[in-house]
Amino acid sequence: MTGPLDGYRILEVGTGVGAAYATKLLADLGADVVKIEPPGSGDPVRRRGPFPGGVPHPEKSGLFLYLNANKRGITLDLQRRRGHEVLERLAAEADLLVHDVHPTAMAAHGLDWDRLSAASPRLVMTSIAPFGLTGPHAHWRATDLVSWSAGGLSTLNGDPARPDLPPLKAFGDQSGFQAGLNAAIPSLAALFARLASGRGEHVEVSVQESLAGILELTFEFWPYCGLVASRLGAKPIQPLCFVECRDGWIFVCCVEEHQWKAFAEIMGNPEWAEMEIFANRLARGANFDALHIFLSEYCATRSVAELYEEAQARRVPFAPVSTMGDLLASEHLKARGFFATLEHPVAGTVTVPGRPYVFSATPWAIRRPAPLLGQHTAEVLEGLGLDPVALAAEGAV
Amino acid sequence: MAGRAPLAGIRIADFTWVWAGPHCTLQLAHLGAEVIRVETATRICVTRMLPPFAKFQPGPNRSGYFNQYNQGKKSVALDLKRPEGLEVAKQLCAISDVVVENFAAGVMDRMGLGYEVLRPLRPDLIMIALSGYGATGPDCHKVSYGPAQVPLSGFSSVTGYRGHPPMHIGISYGDPTGGLHGAVAVLAALLHRAKTGRGQYIDLSQWETTMALLPEALLAQTMNGAPPERDGNRDPHMAPHGAFRAAGDDDRWVALAVEDDAQWARLASLLGDAAPAGDRRFATLAARKANEDALEALVAGWVSQRSPEDAVEALQAAGIPAFVAARNRDLADDPHLDARGYFVALEHPEVGALKHCGVPWRMSASDSRVRAPAPCLGQHTDQVLREVCGYGEDDLARLRAANVLV
Repeated sequence: MTGPLDGYRILEVGTGVGAAYATKLLADLGADVVKIEPPGSGDPVRRRGPFPGGVPHPEKSGLFLYLNANKRGITLDLQRRRGHEVLERLAAEADLLVHDVHPTAMAAHGLDWDRLSAASPRLVMTSIAPFGLTGPHAHWRATDLVSWSAGGLSTLNGDPARPDLPPLKAFGDQSGFQAGLNAAIPSLAALFARLASGRGEHVEVSVQESLAGILELTFEFWPYCGLVASRLGAKPIQPLCFVECRDGWIFVCCVEEHQWKAFAEIMGNPEWAEMEIFANRLARGANFDALHIFLSEYCATRSVAELYEEAQARRVPFAPVSTMGDLLASEHLKARGFFATLEHPVAGTVTVPGRPYVFSATPWAIRRPAPLLGQHTAEVLEGLGLDPVALAAEGAV
Repeated sequence: MAGRAPLAGIRIADFTWVWAGPHCTLQLAHLGAEVIRVETATRICVTRMLPPFAKFQPGPNRSGYFNQYNQGKKSVALDLKRPEGLEVAKQLCAISDVVVENFAAGVMDRMGLGYEVLRPLRPDLIMIALSGYGATGPDCHKVSYGPAQVPLSGFSSVTGYRGHPPMHIGISYGDPTGGLHGAVAVLAALLHRAKTGRGQYIDLSQWETTMALLPEALLAQTMNGAPPERDGNRDPHMAPHGAFRAAGDDDRWVALAVEDDAQWARLASLLGDAAPAGDRRFATLAARKANEDALEALVAGWVSQRSPEDAVEALQAAGIPAFVAARNRDLADDPHLDARGYFVALEHPEVGALKHCGVPWRMSASDSRVRAPAPCLGQHTDQVLREVCGYGEDDLARLRAANVLV
């Protein structure tokens, strides 16, 4: 069976998670993605862990192996004119080029839209940049933490009881993942538009804007009510909180009154739950400190799995605070076949998060492991009628 | 640009509510699809009833939460519990390219709008379900709430301050993450349909799309048998790497990251005497990680003497990634976002022209933008039934009399 994007040819010049995740989404749906890495050092993601045994190795980066399965890989020195010429040849055969080279370095890397599109009018090029390609901050730099802050997300997370602790980022390079998602969407849309127009186009994606667009209800508090959101504000509705059980943490989630009543019943309708200070969700929010003490005393006697199942059986949306081990052991995820296994020639067998969606006719599939550095250079260049040996002698690949 | 919209002519029958599903169809509306929300006052969309309400006055058309994530869509009021309402919905699906829903598994089937019912009406239909747990599996009938997806998916166990309890990440992250993956899936299925003439059914689990963004933690477990410890804002490959309190007493912070030794050298020269050139405690990444507490104390001292804006300007001028930890108001007033035209403020019949977040991408040839404000509940019922479904005045009168169009 083939993927929905079978036959599409895509180039990626990735320097981080953004471009690599965008093209991973497409590669996993059948597109033929060729990843272009600098000779010698390769994609900087190769230097990010986790590594088996904690020992860094450019072919064993867990993040790299995950992001680049299903892609082929070539090396090409985009700092040289010869590299730009080869890139143009590659682009002429491609439907889409996705990159996250910083805007101030694009020209030096041959990522010149006017030139590429003149040579390949059907090409779509998608540029991911921390603050977009235009505007007064276009040349500013960002990493995940900085983008997460610039998009307004880090100020949504804090501990009201500990104002001394800083705004907090989420685990992992989430800015990169969100940028990748927000790049894949218009990239596919541009390919769809091309079915009618016959022409490609240039798409730019701002990481800051991608994040500002997912603030849930927080952003609109300013235009709608003139309220500045604070990370230190207590939640008005409770319980919506983490509580420690005897074998881990659970997320206690009672939004509606019937959910609280059901939870009280699970707890055996203790006297304290009848107290006036816990009479409704707003009262429970106002008296959260006291509530949390009672909940902690109760949950300390329970196991996470039991409490989760009992709450769910009463349609109360509790969730376990899953550890990575819990996720890998989940019978539900096993039954759905979520996790996937890669066989990599250097890193060995690696279990990774698998398909995020199930297509009935054109399945998501892992077809090959991530490329070794330069593994497909000769194959790809010969396919273009270029001489990989001569290019290697010039130092271009 | 003034070209054609990429999804011009594509119609989406949108049965979504809360955030995940609406976030999916929001992307398709940005791209020019005709997105028709099917909703009802008898079981109103959760976000229509959540704050913020314009000027603090509650009302189903006044919620900033709803109005943000439903821009550019139409709304048809239809009671699907009534057989006549169900018939209208089926007819709408039969003339739509894509059906999107994010109810719990099995709900659409029980309503009589499952894929097996709809496919015979529209053989090349693309249908996507974005449920919390997925359409199959032993937990598929569990109840999923946005805030609970974050701990369920594993994010909370690895997010938090060092030595402190697990934390939320501030938003119902599974919702936009599911919605965006859903938009990718729909677009891929549309490209496939354009080539083959075939539609298909897509089962998306918000839980799984969220775990797709957690490879570093999951692979730490699969490779080495242990998850990473909660470590605040720190990063194994960069130091300093954190948020530091700026001058003033209003909880304003500056986030900064030093990616390499060259950036560290430039930061050290900003810090001046506090970080003498060649200080071996900080010369390499390994040294900075080993002495990170002392390093952070130096940076914190420097940031604490400056306004957040001054600190960020100085850091960025030195080529060091930095930004204020932006609050909602900071974003709304950000001159850069303003210059890029990111925000949109279209005239809405009940709330007026208020600022909303726009499209995070720009297309050089295609028309991609927010085309209209979010719809009032049922605003397009008559128009859609007449112009899209081809109903006559008699049909409309009959449906209205039967109390179906609510």
